[in-house]
Amino acid sequence: MHVLLRQLNRVRRDARLPRGRPASLAVRHVDAGSCNGCEHELQAAASPFYDLQRFGIGIVASPRHADILLVTGPVTTRMREALLAAYAAMPEPRLVAALGDCAMGCNVLGDPAALAEPLEELLPVAVRIPGCPPTPDAIAEGLLGALDGGLPRVA
Amino acid sequence: MTLAVAKPTAADVPLPLWRKAVAAALDGGGRFAGAYATDDGDELRWRVLVAHGALVRSLACRSAARRVPSVVDLAPAAGWDEREAHDLHGLGFDGHEPLRPLVDHPADPSAWTVPMTGEGVHDVAVGPIHAGVIESGHFRFHLVGERILALDARLFHKHRGLERAAQGGDADHGLAHVGRACAACHVASSVAYAQAVELAQGRRPSDDLRVARTLLLELERLYNHLNDVSAVCAGVGFAPGAMAFAALKERAQRLNARLTGHRFLFGSVAVGGSTLALSGGAARTAGEAVRSIGDDAAKAWRSLMFARSVQARLDGVGVLTRDDAVRLGAVGPAARASGVREDVRTTSPRLAYGDLAAAVPEAPAGDVRARLQVRALELESTCAVLGELLASGEIAPGGVVTAARDAPNFGTGLVESPRGATLCAVELDGDRVARVHLRTGSYANWPAVAHAAAGNLLPDFPLINKSFELCYACADR
Ligand code: SF4
Repeated sequence: MHVLLRQLNRVRRDARLPRGRPASLAVRHVDAGSCNGCEHELQAAASPFYDLQRFGIGIVASPRHADILLVTGPVTTRMREALLAAYAAMPEPRLVAALGDCAMGCNVLGDPAALAEPLEELLPVAVRIPGCPPTPDAIAEGLLGALDGGLPRVA
Repeated sequence: MTLAVAKPTAADVPLPLWRKAVAAALDGGGRFAGAYATDDGDELRWRVLVAHGALVRSLACRSAARRVPSVVDLAPAAGWDEREAHDLHGLGFDGHEPLRPLVDHPADPSAWTVPMTGEGVHDVAVGPIHAGVIESGHFRFHLVGERILALDARLFHKHRGLERAAQGGDADHGLAHVGRACAACHVASSVAYAQAVELAQGRRPSDDLRVARTLLLELERLYNHLNDVSAVCAGVGFAPGAMAFAALKERAQRLNARLTGHRFLFGSVAVGGSTLALSGGAARTAGEAVRSIGDDAAKAWRSLMFARSVQARLDGVGVLTRDDAVRLGAVGPAARASGVREDVRTTSPRLAYGDLAAAVPEAPAGDVRARLQVRALELESTCAVLGELLASGEIAPGGVVTAARDAPNFGTGLVESPRGATLCAVELDGDRVARVHLRTGSYANWPAVAHAAAGNLLPDFPLINKSFELCYACADR
């Protein structure tokens, strides 16, 4: 009886599996001056407990291969150029995501002289994942939202 | 109980006697622990801190001309500190030649790299953006073929000016900045800061607070060491080990969240207290969770020992000799792997470590294997410390008691972070933080990484780098 119920449950669960997400999402991460907390959680999102890859979301080595630029940290003056270069290297259509409160420009700590403009002023941010740092769950949710929302078409 | 009381009121050392004074302080086993400049408009004050166990001595000199004698030949570990003070405060150092930029990033590579010429010598530039999910920093390798002749690391891409931003506010404002210097060392940096402020205010932690902070520090070490073993496995492309230890790290972080409400223990350290409060039952449950993580880590470690593809990559790679470790001022697991038997935890009167001994592997060869072994040994001792403290029952947040009639307005805190000795110095002006300086284990160890990389093959660098597993964030601040 118990075994039957368990199987029934499993069948029900499987039936609820999302079918046919529209695409995969290649993510390129740029640390623009984080405290490393957001990186740890982004890595965790790709680790055994969360396994983002199974939704078609993968972290890629080059901006040339990326659909979405995932930025962490407030933008420091010393990372500004590298960040812009990474964005320029991406093929279109492309998205920019702000990962964490710092990248979103909330409660930013530091000396204004060492920080560049906020990310929002530098690049067109389309996805925002709040938290300090956002939990791996929140990161998964935010990225899946971007996947479901689709990538903007080039005009 | 003896406290690490520095003598802030001691008169400034006249410049002609500066080198002699520093040499005398270093004599008899003193360890260069940090240095920082304070700008009061007309004059610059330069302060050097030397640690003898838990005791931190402070020496200062002043210069209106913004030039002081370098001590880099007496304490090579001061190299980065002097370069930083030059870039951030315009302080010159007589005898430090060439004084290459460190925090400043001039466009011309010859301004900051070691010149390397000869047949077949070429450069490979990597970063600041790396291929994986990694912090930003730039490495310039000088190679012949694939062999590394020398490595110039150009960090500070993540410099946020946190020390400067922390100045002028109250102690909590300072804590927010110091705590966000680095997530992976959040507790260590925060405790070092809190200790420094408390000492400056003439207060010391109660017994409960010592226990609470020790618990938090070891919870931080637990998830970090699990992470670092995973990282070394990833560095040799051994996915089963990387995944097993990443999963264990996740369990440790979920325990953090259960105990403090935050996976990185953010907000758990306060000046004059902590927010950690556990009932006897909660402490026991946490103790069981730690034991089960420790048991599973031991099992995962044993299977790693039999994974030949991993074992074949560890020996003789990225060697840091004992002499070099001492000369360069390496600290923490990296130094212990080279046979330096030092661990700030063994002399921490403001924490509750009992008779903990520094972990040194049987064959401290200073290579990747030895650095990995130190992590395994410390995972055991960390679980033991946590188990013991949690078994003693209820955990209270604790507080501080007044220890001195007059507040000295200057204090230092010294804590063993997962990466080694982290020092924080604080100068108070009434309720305001006039100056704060944070020198983390990562900051101390970066020069050793560059040194250990020389002579190895370029493809081994990720592995060597992972075996140190330093933070960029807490070095850059
Ligand atoms: S949002 Fe929080 S965790 Fe992320 S980089 Fe900023 S301070 Fe660190």
